[in-house]
Amino acid sequence: MPEQLRNFLRDERARRNLTQADLAELVGVSRKTINTVENGVFIPSTVLALKLARALGTTVEQLFQLADDHHRSGRKES
Amino acid sequence: MSPLGYFLESNMPSNVEVADKASRKRAIAVAIAAIVFLMIQVVTRPVFNPSPETAHLSKVIMWAVNAAALLFLLMTGGGLAQRKEIRELVHDEVSRSNSKSAVVFGYWIAMAVAMAVYVIAGQTPMTAREAVYLIVTPSIGLALLAFSWLEYRAHSDA
Repeated sequence: MPEQLRNFLRDERARRNLTQADLAELVGVSRKTINTVENGVFIPSTVLALKLARALGTTVEQLFQLADDHHRSGRKES
Repeated sequence: MSPLGYFLESNMPSNVEVADKASRKRAIAVAIAAIVFLMIQVVTRPVFNPSPETAHLSKVIMWAVNAAALLFLLMTGGGLAQRKEIRELVHDEVSRSNSKSAVVFGYWIAMAVAMAVYVIAGQTPMTAREAVYLIVTPSIGLALLAFSWLEYRAHSDA
């Protein structure tokens, strides 16, 4: 369920000065996909999550967290 | 690379940009197709006729062809004239998910209308063709509108 998953994709992308289109190009998906994932409208498949993490040089856990983990880690969401 | 080649390459839109435009256009085109399909039914009412046997055959065939084409569009995402890479980007993971959601929505519309037809048929006899028409027409039209709306929302920024 979307409300149980927090994502930091926008933060991580902005940190690398990438536009949604740039990241879409790197991952090989449409800009629409990046947009919906960032907005929490769409929960990506495991494959897409791994591709996003690889493109941003980070881990899936750094990009996506369960809401419970988010509260425990105290990380700020964009 | 020659200066002309470099110029052309640097000014050519990327696949992502092309797919983005195509996807936005598709969202609008699908909505228009669904609205036109539903409006044509209101105007022509192809299967409803005082004498069903005399219903204009061309209208009946046109409805079936139109409905099949729209179902095909919903199933595949269309864009068969596009390059494979562009088509895959346009109908990617998000669009396939939106398509599935729209099909589920259409399924529930079909179930609701079928139940209504089942009840109404007790008082007002109808032919099998009329019943199928009543069930299929709104479910396809509304499923396409749902797909269009989901796609449009996917392009909108939060």
